[in-house]
Amino acid sequence: MESERVYEVFARKQRQDRFQHVGTVTAPNRNLARVYAWQTYDEDKWFEMVVAPRDSFSAVNLFRFPFTVNESDLG
Amino acid sequence: MTRFRSPSDLPPGDRTRLGHLLLALADNKRLLGIRYSDWILGAPSVEAGIACSAMSQDEWGHGRIVYSMLKDFDHDPRQLEFLREADGYLNSEVVDSEAPTWPDLIALNLLWDTALSVQFDVLAEGSYEPLHHKSRKLLQEERYHFDHAVGWSERLMTGSGGEAALAGACGAIWNSCIRWFGESDDPLISPLADLGLVPRPRVTRARWLARVGPVAGLLGLAVESGEVESDEEGQWVGAPELHWEGWSASRRRRQDGGPDEDSLARVRGDRNRVLVADA
Repeated sequence: MESERVYEVFARKQRQDRFQHVGTVTAPNRNLARVYAWQTYDEDKWFEMVVAPRDSFSAVNLFRFPFTVNESDLG
Repeated sequence: MTRFRSPSDLPPGDRTRLGHLLLALADNKRLLGIRYSDWILGAPSVEAGIACSAMSQDEWGHGRIVYSMLKDFDHDPRQLEFLREADGYLNSEVVDSEAPTWPDLIALNLLWDTALSVQFDVLAEGSYEPLHHKSRKLLQEERYHFDHAVGWSERLMTGSGGEAALAGACGAIWNSCIRWFGESDDPLISPLADLGLVPRPRVTRARWLARVGPVAGLLGLAVESGEVESDEEGQWVGAPELHWEGWSASRRRRQDGGPDEDSLARVRGDRNRVLVADA
């Protein structure tokens, strides 16, 4: 069975803007993560939005908390 | 191909026919919106509930756009909105009542929502120009509805019992969806096709099959039923034998029935209409 993953959502309002982190969604696959992100964070008229699984990020200085591990895995 | 810029450019009989098709689309959008709304608070996750809410709002918005066009087709918007009985609605039987399970809702999302989108798709390419612009945003929003359906189909196919439940749910509405595009000599669609307003029923049906066929095929649904096959190039095409018992070309649905009592009250706003002085 596909397991639920946390996806980080980034978006920008105009092409020249930097992406900003707008939130997260939890989804069983990438297709649903895209849909959930677009429908959950629709308060602005976004030029571009992307999602990435939280566990695809690599820790740089903090290796256990607060970002790269799902809260549910922390015990 | 002649282009039509307003309803008055159309021959009278064809104006009536196009208005009828648009009314069927508007009624289906409104009822489908209710079906999505049924699951806002019962969806498997918060995100899935938000998606139902968003899709419900989209469908009601699409319905509103189309209803508002109908006054130019000799329809009375107030009569359409508040005064029809169940047998006056042109929605498919698949949205008459609540989807009893989540897989049933995903089947509606995959098969029926896509059928409506395909119909708008071909209207947007047809010779009636006012629909071109109005369909664009609608079809953009519908891309997410389809992705939602595919995402949840994938999810259910990997879960215990989910695949059988989804296959059963799709099987239950398959024939209603596939025949909605009409018979080859459909009395509503064929004259509209002669004017280039829409393609022939088999062309529109083939476009629907091309979208939903791959998922239906994974479910073992279409192939087993003998109603769908893929040609040498792997394109999904309709086999000639469809089931038409009980079909009403004028109602674009099974002849008998209509929205159930609760759906009718919600679609007309019966409970709160007394609060609106002029309604």
